Amino acid sequence: MTSTMTTAPRRWIGLVGLAATAALVLTACAPPQAAEPEPDAGGGTEAAVSETLKVGYISPVTGNFAVAGQEMVDGWNLYWELNGNEVNGVTVETIVEDDAGNPEISLTKAAKLVEQDEVDVLVGPLLANTALAVAEYAESVGVPNLHPVAASDDLTQRNANGLTVRTGSMGGSQANYPGGEWAATEGGFDTAVTLCADYAFGWESCAGFVQGFQDNGGEVVEQLWFPNSTTDFSTYVSQIQAAGADMVYVATAGGAPGPNFLTSYLGLGLDMDKLLLNCCAADQGTLRAMGDQIVGLKSVSYWAEGRESEAVAELIEAYKEFSGGNVPGAYIAGGYITASLVASVLEEQGYLTGEELVSAITESTFEDNIFGRVSFDEYNNTVGPVYIREVVKRDDGNLYNTPIATYEDVDQWFGQDPEEALQQPNYSQDFQG
Amino acid sequence: MNRRMLVNLALLGLLLVVLLALPYFGVSNFVLGLASTILIAAVLASSVNFLGGDGGMVSLGHGAIAAASAYAVGWASRQGLDSMTQVLLALVVTLVVSFLYGLLSMRTSGIYFLMVTLALGMLIYGLAFRLSSVTGGENGISGIAAPGNLHEEWIYYYVVLGIFVITTGALWVVSSSPFGASLRGLRDSESRMRSLGYSVAQYKLSAFMISGTVAGIAGVLAVWHTNFVSPSSAGVERSVLLVVMVILGGIGTLLGPLIGAAVVVLVENVLSSYVDRWPTALGLIFILVILFARAGVAGSVPKVLAKLRGRSPSATPPGDRSSPEGTAVPDRNHNP
Amino acid sequence: MFEPVFLAQQVLNGLSFGALLFLLASGLTLVFGLMKIVNMAHGAFYLLGGYIGVVIAGLTGNLLLAVITAVIVVAATAFIVEVVLLRFVRGQELPEVLLTIGVSFVIADLCLAVFGGDPQNLPTTATIPGALMIGDLVYPWYRIFVIGVAVAIGLGLAFVQTRTRIGAVVRAGVDDREIISAMGVNIAWVFTGMFVVGAGLAALGGTIGSGMQSILPGVQNEVLLYALVVIIIGGLGSVTGAAVGSVLIGLIDAFAKAWIPELAYFTIFLPMALVLVLRPTGLFGRTA
Repeated sequence: MTSTMTTAPRRWIGLVGLAATAALVLTACAPPQAAEPEPDAGGGTEAAVSETLKVGYISPVTGNFAVAGQEMVDGWNLYWELNGNEVNGVTVETIVEDDAGNPEISLTKAAKLVEQDEVDVLVGPLLANTALAVAEYAESVGVPNLHPVAASDDLTQRNANGLTVRTGSMGGSQANYPGGEWAATEGGFDTAVTLCADYAFGWESCAGFVQGFQDNGGEVVEQLWFPNSTTDFSTYVSQIQAAGADMVYVATAGGAPGPNFLTSYLGLGLDMDKLLLNCCAADQGTLRAMGDQIVGLKSVSYWAEGRESEAVAELIEAYKEFSGGNVPGAYIAGGYITASLVASVLEEQGYLTGEELVSAITESTFEDNIFGRVSFDEYNNTVGPVYIREVVKRDDGNLYNTPIATYEDVDQWFGQDPEEALQQPNYSQDFQG
Repeated sequence: MNRRMLVNLALLGLLLVVLLALPYFGVSNFVLGLASTILIAAVLASSVNFLGGDGGMVSLGHGAIAAASAYAVGWASRQGLDSMTQVLLALVVTLVVSFLYGLLSMRTSGIYFLMVTLALGMLIYGLAFRLSSVTGGENGISGIAAPGNLHEEWIYYYVVLGIFVITTGALWVVSSSPFGASLRGLRDSESRMRSLGYSVAQYKLSAFMISGTVAGIAGVLAVWHTNFVSPSSAGVERSVLLVVMVILGGIGTLLGPLIGAAVVVLVENVLSSYVDRWPTALGLIFILVILFARAGVAGSVPKVLAKLRGRSPSATPPGDRSSPEGTAVPDRNHNP
Repeated sequence: MFEPVFLAQQVLNGLSFGALLFLLASGLTLVFGLMKIVNMAHGAFYLLGGYIGVVIAGLTGNLLLAVITAVIVVAATAFIVEVVLLRFVRGQELPEVLLTIGVSFVIADLCLAVFGGDPQNLPTTATIPGALMIGDLVYPWYRIFVIGVAVAIGLGLAFVQTRTRIGAVVRAGVDDREIISAMGVNIAWVFTGMFVVGAGLAALGGTIGSGMQSILPGVQNEVLLYALVVIIIGGLGSVTGAAVGSVLIGLIDAFAKAWIPELAYFTIFLPMALVLVLRPTGLFGRTA
């Protein structure tokens, strides 16, 4: 393009200028498509003979979060396979879209589902940043958005809106407060050191534990934070050992950090009875990776696959058959319970969309489902049981997180007034409540 | 001015007409949004393309520059500042970040340049994660509204298209200027240019500032489009994809970034709806392009056409400023 | 934070992490030194090697067998990649980079499809149980074993490079590729051989490493970044540089995360940026 075209630049400048002008002029006259009325995004006004609830399900089923993302999808699908996808004359049709854990792709997929597929409800996605982005978009187009896994506190606090419901999990701080309470009381620990992921989810989880522990007389002697990219935890384990506290609380966001921490911790010969992990550090993925050496490991979560319950047993049996013998973890449970809540309100009230669907869910109390008794607060967040769990090996050779203590009706406010709680800054390294 | 030039101009004009007419084809907002996403990615990729094609400096940190600019808009919008201030702040942040990048990287070249920019990008990524009081941490900043009626998908599309044309044109003008020629001279032999009395560092720094500014513009466009920014925009995966777009499209070519961006964005957002193992598909596309269209799509098509016409490809085809063989082993530039 | 036991433990933490980094980086730097290829698929080779190692170790409980199988399978994969793909773009830096990125995408995505996404570790039956105990200092044998493997590999590579004919050919090739042809050696096959050896080292690192840290999707990128940082700090193509860079990063990572936790996110990339600003071709890179 250099030697043969020395005369070109002026022409090009002209062309570019022309194009720019043309673009600006054209913006003045709207294309025909924009003049048409917006299609009704909810689709609720269509009078169909046999009604269909169209569900757009966004989840990272490829990339680095593929396991959790696929589990979230599997849990949802499993429910409809077990119970049939026709409830009270309403057919539930699901379109799954992959966002690879990338917020930009999440948003594009959400727009695709709403505008092209005209779905009635969006479910997912998984990661906090993708979930917050999609929740905001969904509200702007008036489509309900259910969250089976996303744990960001703000989803049902500072960013709460009338169309966003956390259906299948709890906020990070909410799910861990009872862990602190248990450790300081029944657990019998006086001092604790914490090791949490150094970003929002870790800060929130830790804040929950710390407040629960301190409110019940415990003292947190040191707080360590690991970058999410950490693969070798030995340096943190050495610091934990040096801190010399009665117990260790560890919060990770699932994936490799759980097993990697345990490998380092147990490798140094430290005492497993001093550990309390959060939901995700001790999820089924960790249990499968670590095997029998972690029988007896304690953790705190809203999901306990080892709980004696008909609903849980039904899910375990179905998932084992589906996966070739695996036990369902929290992400599967999140997808499954979300489906069961939708089915339950359809059963009672028939075809519902928009705010009606949201209020039907949030105004109900769901007894005896896989989490236990679940209801919702006015910010559309789950209020339900939190379990202190212990890893138990059952006759089928699998490891189960089995409850040893239960805290019923845990909400996200720790006894504070919601308005006041929302005046606080977000949890961070510097602010733990 | 020869016939081939005319043909190329005609093709460019046709492309522009198609792009201008797109909203009139009655496509949905989703398709328009997708087209905007592609154009924004193309603006960002063209900044990488300019630096890599003319300067021989392939950057793995441009995603983070765009993200820094997007964060500036996001932070300013959260403070309730108006859109003019948002853009000004974004500009300032972009210039500062680009200057630092340029300053720290100007002594390196080749793979070492790649790694410095990667490291700087990772530092910005780390800051986005850690400085949660400013950046919102992993949750990012949401609810960043575009000013005026830019939230109308078709209006925004035209704005993006206009800016794409302007930035692409501007980069082309720069690269056709004596400055661009000197830059290519630097790319091919730093030592020769130095002995000719050129201030190598100054040229490299200027090139980086130009490229960084374009990346910053893309950052503002992106954040107004998605109304959202989070650390993943600054992540290394994004920057790798940018380089991939550039090479796929054809490094140093005018339309390469657009073609590369279109391929990557469409695979990510559209093909992924139909093909479960789409990352494998993306990988295979890369491999096939490299094997059968070594100079990237835009770099190879003219050659193939020339071959089909039975002409000897002696004249450098337009749009092919750098033969891919020109970017050879990195330490060639380290001769004293 | 300054007690002797803590310091000793941290030194061992840094050295064992550095040892793993060296296993990763040595293959990458060797390939770069001879072929001038930045093999972006190196992390994927680690991933594949790790998965195969974990599966074989789970079946047999034998670490040696796991390592050998992983190395063979990955070396075969690398052979195919080199002969079928890379040869066609020899000497063109950017196409080579893109090609190996493409290979990495494909391998990682297929690994996800085949092995699933659960984190996977070497089963305890295949690792070395127990811990070294000296007074109050307790340290797991397996991590000490990893240090040993890295030292052995490093010495082995140094021996081959300086004392054997193959080493002479490779050294000649690093300085001037034409010379290899003049020596009557088919340069294409020397390249292939080096690429396969580099991949084999990555597979070794993957299997051994999965006793220290889990294998799962995404690990290929982390590992590649670490390896790149190490060889950039050390200077491309230098095995000595890779060794120094590994130990340096390992120790900085261990101590910085304890003493200056505010910089925990930056322990890997800040040192690299600093080194490159001060010495643009790394500590042991050629400047002349």
